[in-house]
Amino acid sequence: MRGWRFPLLVVLWLIPATLVWIGATDFLNVFLRINAEHLLHLGESPNVSRLYPAPQDDNYIFIERADFSPARARVASVRVTDVHFPLVLLLALFLAVPGISWKERLKALGWALLVTVLFDIVLLYFWVQFYYAEQYGPLGRNVFGLGKHLLDLPFKLGLPLALFVVFHFRRLVPTGADRPDPP
Amino acid sequence: MAKKKPRSQETASAPPPGEGERPHGWRAYRRELTFLVLFIVILGGSFTLLSLTWVNDTLVEPFTAGVARASGIALNLIGQDITMHGTILRNETFAVNVRNGCNGVETMLIFLAAVLAFPASWKARGIGLALGMVAIQGVNLVRVVALFLTGAYFPKLFDASHTVIWQSVVILFGVLLWIFWAHRFAAPPVPAPLDAPPSTPVEG
Repeated sequence: MRGWRFPLLVVLWLIPATLVWIGATDFLNVFLRINAEHLLHLGESPNVSRLYPAPQDDNYIFIERADFSPARARVASVRVTDVHFPLVLLLALFLAVPGISWKERLKALGWALLVTVLFDIVLLYFWVQFYYAEQYGPLGRNVFGLGKHLLDLPFKLGLPLALFVVFHFRRLVPTGADRPDPP
Repeated sequence: MAKKKPRSQETASAPPPGEGERPHGWRAYRRELTFLVLFIVILGGSFTLLSLTWVNDTLVEPFTAGVARASGIALNLIGQDITMHGTILRNETFAVNVRNGCNGVETMLIFLAAVLAFPASWKARGIGLALGMVAIQGVNLVRVVALFLTGAYFPKLFDASHTVIWQSVVILFGVLLWIFWAHRFAAPPVPAPLDAPPSTPVEG
């Protein structure tokens, strides 16, 4: 991972990673939408929230509340691809790691993907709650406002790096024998 | 006869020289967990701090205005005939408002959190932060200029470029910069055991 080799490999892996992400986008949109809706329903009785794809563009979902008047039922829309696009970075980082077997590489990638998809479901949940928070008190507004702010910017964008470091920490910290000799 | 393991598997599973037998359970991942916890605390704390109104008004907004001014100057240098109104850049075909999220602060804070959470000397951290912040702002300047040109000449591509492509590029740059820093400058020296063979042959 020394020098420019790894960064170059990451840039090269970006192309297949982007193609895989584009290919998986429809599935991810549906998977995240359905599971975020299930997560919302855990806190509702009866289940009043409905997330459904926008007719014109599958990348967007509409958030609808059954307990609101028809004029106000559609609360907002969210672009789901904005939630899961950091997967491109995650795929490129994990696939580009040099000097390990494919089995080990794919195992680390699988765990990282699992964590990321779970994170994306929670992030979509916070997006919806952020729009609902207008109905809540000051505490609810602050919790979901700050929660969405933190999850959607720093943690969504920092998650690939954090997972990469956790899974490949020992490759970043060379041992004494690996370090270059002093001049 | 025992089959020799490939080098890649040796480096992945063998304990580092001088560290002896690795501890079991979660203690085996103490350094990874320490990094993760510090990274989350520093990143979450810094973003919470920036979300306070007075911090935003006294630090972030003036910084964003500076980014907008620098972008306007750069666009004028390539003949875009830009007029600037606060954080708004405008010419006769297109206008953008450089706001929070377009100022590179997210990437800078992710870089900062990763640098501070990683085991390194304070000198290495200081050098990494100083050079890293400048480099990230350089890339962010390219991003704002490119987004303005995209909006002016390829308006249909602006939305995807803004939220997905350039955000990924700037974050990717910050991540790669950090990995380069971590491996090249920051990794703490682990002494090799006395009986370990030298990494290069000793001559004479």
